[in-house]
Amino acid sequence: MASFESHRRCVRALLAGFVLLSFWPSLADAQEQADGFAIERLYQSAPGAGWFVMDDLDISGRLGGAISLTSGYARNPLVITGPDGKQKLAVVSEEAFVDFGAAITHDRFRGYIDFPVPLVLSGASGTVGGYQFTAPSLSFGTSPDTVSDPRVGFDIRLLGEPGGLLRLGAGAQLIFPNGNRADYVTDDKYRAMFRFLAAGDAGKFTYAGQLGVHVRTLNDAPVPGSPNGSEFLYGISGGRRFAGSNGWTFVAGPEIFGETAFHAFFSGETGTEALLTGRLEHTFTSRNLRIKLGVGHALVQDFGAAQWRVVFGVEVFGHK
Amino acid sequence: MRFWSLLLAVVRCVNCPERRATVFNGYSRGVPDRSLGQANPARVLLARSTLRVLVSFLLLWSFASAQNGTPAPRPDDEFSFMQRLADKGFHDIENESWNAYGQFTYISSWKPSFDAPYTNLNGSINSLLPTAERSFTGTATLYLGVRLWRGAEGYLVPELISERPFSQLRGLGGAIQNFELQKTGGETPQLYRSRIFIKQTFALGGKSVVEESGPLQLGTHYDSRRIVLVAGNFSILDFFDTNAFDVDPRDGFLGLGFMTYGAYDFASDARGYSYGGVAQFFWDDWAVRVGRITPPKEPNQLPVDFRLFKYYGDQMEAEHKHKIRGQEGMVRVLAFRNREDMGRFSDAIAAFEANPNENAATCTGFNYGSQNADAPDLCWARKSNVKKGIGGFAEQYIGHDIGVFGRAMYADGQTEVDAYTSDDRSATVGLLAKGSSWSRPKDVVGIGTNAGWISSMHAKYLGMGGVDGFVGDGAITAASERSLDLFYSAHFRAVYWLTGDYQHITNPGFNSARGPVNVFTVRIHGQF
Repeated sequence: MASFESHRRCVRALLAGFVLLSFWPSLADAQEQADGFAIERLYQSAPGAGWFVMDDLDISGRLGGAISLTSGYARNPLVITGPDGKQKLAVVSEEAFVDFGAAITHDRFRGYIDFPVPLVLSGASGTVGGYQFTAPSLSFGTSPDTVSDPRVGFDIRLLGEPGGLLRLGAGAQLIFPNGNRADYVTDDKYRAMFRFLAAGDAGKFTYAGQLGVHVRTLNDAPVPGSPNGSEFLYGISGGRRFAGSNGWTFVAGPEIFGETAFHAFFSGETGTEALLTGRLEHTFTSRNLRIKLGVGHALVQDFGAAQWRVVFGVEVFGHK
Repeated sequence: MRFWSLLLAVVRCVNCPERRATVFNGYSRGVPDRSLGQANPARVLLARSTLRVLVSFLLLWSFASAQNGTPAPRPDDEFSFMQRLADKGFHDIENESWNAYGQFTYISSWKPSFDAPYTNLNGSINSLLPTAERSFTGTATLYLGVRLWRGAEGYLVPELISERPFSQLRGLGGAIQNFELQKTGGETPQLYRSRIFIKQTFALGGKSVVEESGPLQLGTHYDSRRIVLVAGNFSILDFFDTNAFDVDPRDGFLGLGFMTYGAYDFASDARGYSYGGVAQFFWDDWAVRVGRITPPKEPNQLPVDFRLFKYYGDQMEAEHKHKIRGQEGMVRVLAFRNREDMGRFSDAIAAFEANPNENAATCTGFNYGSQNADAPDLCWARKSNVKKGIGGFAEQYIGHDIGVFGRAMYADGQTEVDAYTSDDRSATVGLLAKGSSWSRPKDVVGIGTNAGWISSMHAKYLGMGGVDGFVGDGAITAASERSLDLFYSAHFRAVYWLTGDYQHITNPGFNSARGPVNVFTVRIHGQF
């Protein structure tokens, strides 16, 4: 009886081993499919807010408004590095967008809407660290009317006056999911941002800064490069104003901005970019024009920070 | 019965002295003090007779009418966000530097089961299902306009849609029951950019014409003689064959055949929008416009072919406004010529007859998924081909707040549908009235009938089991597809319209072996 029992155990073990062996190759080759997400990390400020990402908090007057058109190109916004530190896969190597925004201001309040339109998203598919990445393949011809993750926002200037040394404010944005995750244009989940804003002017110099929270429910960890829940936002900018003739002014200076996931606070999942910006402004009328150009490079090229980018913007703004 | 009671009331009140001036929005522009209600007895008699003849004609012949997807201007007395700002002194609505309007519309349709001896015969896939079905669309639109520089206006229109068509939008030509349905999309709401374009006006003198503030229109004054250039992304129906009497289609007829000519296969993507340019020349009561726009890369699909010198849709329209016995009217002639990558029916049949292996089930290129191995398919015949058509439109007030209109088009009928409907020839007539006669001036009532025909080659191709766009039952007893559309839109609570609509569709998919089909629809529409 005992020998029968041990024989049965032996057969079971052999069978289990056989089954395991027969599945071994497929287990070894199993790769998890990485999903797309909202790759864009240039979280633009409201139309009429001056800087690309920061906010000059120059909100005043009776009813006013602004419209903006911003277009940009980013190179290598998502490069995945393998565990050996050598393998690199540019899942998103090119990204271009155009963004349309409109804002209404009154006194110290600003409400706005923004519609990003992806123009190009492309890259290379491949496997890194056991994860299969499928590159986006979006072009204007294939997606002629796509709008990705539109947002509505509200800003308020809490303290200080336009032109003053210090202005403090706060802003909130609600981001609506729209588009396909496979195109790397959306998380397919609602997102929100809350920002504490500061800005000021001192003679020929102007500055702005922000600290905030990006409420992001998508957490695809440990997929490398993917969102890891909510993020901490930071940024600062400063520039010098050069007065021209006929109301024209040129402002030049850097913007530095980035984000880090709270789950890995400044420890790996952090991206920081610097953008050298130049703004040509025609102000002092009820209808003002601002033309902006920014050229930037990643300071920490991780977590969606582009290797380099170029951004161009036009704003028309004013108030009664 | 209520409709007919109302219609009779309209007939009785053609000359009611208490009627308010101006009904259809477009004709209130620039002539706010015009009274159409002081007609003499001869005119009244003529109007009544005309109306009766028209109603009889409609009942006897079951023909159809038309409008299009462009929003209508907003009258001063209608609530809007911009009007409210103007009332508060924050906005100059007559000379606008910007404006913003919005709308939402929910349309729910139900069709009971109908008789059909066959459905999707031999693996064909484009039959309207004979079972009872429910369809809906929900749309929300934001119209943003801004004055960019002298004479230049810019418009941006994001739109949200959620939809469920009958039978995956298959089985009907120009008689699709709801003009909001798109050839792409699903029940999950999807936001897209429907329009973004710049309009530049060059004044040439003449009288000053008031353009009221509204969606896709900044409040301003134009010269009656002017050149207007448009470039960007738009619906060609924003400029060509615009709404009959400027009635917003979301307040008017629901059938797709009433948007424009059913046979006007204007180049566009699967949502009905195009990229390109339009030039318009206005000379008092005359207007001439030409346009070149992008076609889809593949028939009825969303991706756009931007090679505007290789594939394109060209159109030209001449328009004249007139008065007959003091009543305003308009006549238009429109011709189009498309050069697109599309198949000719004769080529598809010839390819199949030469080699039966080149059938619908063996397509190597784009097709609609038919598995009919005994049928030809246009996928074997697609190449650069030309489609042409010419049509005419007329609208005429026949009394205060009552107008009739009609349009008809003849297209060559040799090539597949690339963007709109499978009609090769179409005709519509209709009657629209506003409810000032029964003290509800913002209500709209309409009756119209729409018919579409296919060419003999088109019928032969469908009869062999081929599919064209969204029609093709696998067999056909060719006949004109017709629809009768009756609706009443009731205005309530300042910004809402509730519509009841009935459509009777005969010979669905140009096939007299199937149907008829009855469709009952309710629509709720709001605008601000």
